[in-house]
Amino acid sequence: MNIESIWQAAVQQQVFRELVETFSRPGVVRDLTQWIGNATAHRAVLATLMDGEATLADPHGSIAAPDWRLLQAQRGAPETARYVAIDGSRTPDFRPALGRLESPEFGATLLIEIIAIGSGLLSLDLAGPGIDGQRELRLEGLHTDWLLHRADWVSGFPLGVDLLLCDATCIVALPRTTRIAIS
Amino acid sequence: MNVTAHTTAGNAYTFGFLDEYAKKEVRRAVLKAIAIPGYQVPYASREMPMGRGFGTGGLQLTLSLIGPDEVIKVIDQGSDDSVNAVNLRQFIEMMCPGVSTTTKTAECTLIQSRHRIPERPLTAAQIIVLQVPYPDPLVVVEPSEDKRKTMHGEADYSRLLVKLYEDLVTFDEITLSHRYPTRINGHYIIDPSPIPRWDVPKLNDSAALILLGAGREKKIYAVPPHTQATPLAFNDVPFRVEDFRDAAGRRRACARCGCMNSFLDEFVSDSGDKTYQCSDSDWCDEQLLQIERLRRKSA
Ligand SMILES: [Zn+2]
Repeated sequence: MNIESIWQAAVQQQVFRELVETFSRPGVVRDLTQWIGNATAHRAVLATLMDGEATLADPHGSIAAPDWRLLQAQRGAPETARYVAIDGSRTPDFRPALGRLESPEFGATLLIEIIAIGSGLLSLDLAGPGIDGQRELRLEGLHTDWLLHRADWVSGFPLGVDLLLCDATCIVALPRTTRIAIS
Repeated sequence: MNVTAHTTAGNAYTFGFLDEYAKKEVRRAVLKAIAIPGYQVPYASREMPMGRGFGTGGLQLTLSLIGPDEVIKVIDQGSDDSVNAVNLRQFIEMMCPGVSTTTKTAECTLIQSRHRIPERPLTAAQIIVLQVPYPDPLVVVEPSEDKRKTMHGEADYSRLLVKLYEDLVTFDEITLSHRYPTRINGHYIIDPSPIPRWDVPKLNDSAALILLGAGREKKIYAVPPHTQATPLAFNDVPFRVEDFRDAAGRRRACARCGCMNSFLDEFVSDSGDKTYQCSDSDWCDEQLLQIERLRRKSA
């Protein structure tokens, strides 16, 4: 039997380290190509983070049935799930969990698929923890309403949401502490 | 710590000792810890084949991070050669086939440390994991964890500040030689683990990611790279690192390498004389090597 690489522990360890890198240095684009074979970055991240303890919402129906079985995640509503898979071209029509003052880690991680990371018409200036001064990030295919809503969702630190954007092969994180200006 | 009993039991263990579910739990907590700098993320700490207090929190972080191409350094109070450091390093070597170990700070990709941050500035290509016995600085003023969580969330540290001020005024520096309360990114105040005050400034604007793990208290927290870390201070009681001056006001030097800008350990000989040596053994070796190189050049 041929197991796709993203379900293998050794690959998940590598993908996790890429996640650590991009969350530690928001706006730094990490290319997962060498680890994930023909799988998408989005599926690789889900395979790395999900198990039976995690709640995952899929409001845009982007996760295939066979993947659900392997992910083992509990299905949740986008308003309450710890992880939400999102098609970035759509407009936001729900408010994700922002956590509680005593437990801000319940603020959701939004896994947003877009067309391109590192190039594109949308240009962001980033600042905050993990960024030495400023960093520029270019994106293609993210509906800007996500950024407008996010600005509201993260306005009461420590509450907030953490974004992980994925294109076919790359990931980039925008945790709740990152200050984003659309340029 | 009983390492052999667990390895001779068979090949049942996966790479990194922990099962993949345990790793995923720690990994999810790590990413949230990075996203919320200084916040203590709870996680389900696993039983490890060694007593708590041997750095099980740090070890679970290390085992969830580590890959076969890792170069790891394990230190205890600055030393690679103490019993504790050697045991942990051997455990990691046995549980993670292929991993390289080093004593050289310059060469490692991952450091697990108890009570010190190396003198050599860490780089963006490195991660340091600090072992934490007591993660919550508020425990000295508030016994209820629920109340402490609310206070942290609201960044309500007035009682901690009052207590700290009283301690500083009453006892001078002595009670705060280690675990100096430090505010991260203007919100959460952390216990930076029992590092000396000397190491606290290294938390600020660090190039490397700093992860802290408390196994007994089941908490993980982080100081991301390039993040503000400010030791608490008062106008009339400023924060100061240890100064290592002798009675005449001169900065003491390491008796082994002569270094005058490292954190020193004090040794008392049988005759009662005190000598001082770099606490960071790799740093001390590096300084000696440099002196040796210079000597050879000039010879
Ligand atoms: Zn020395």
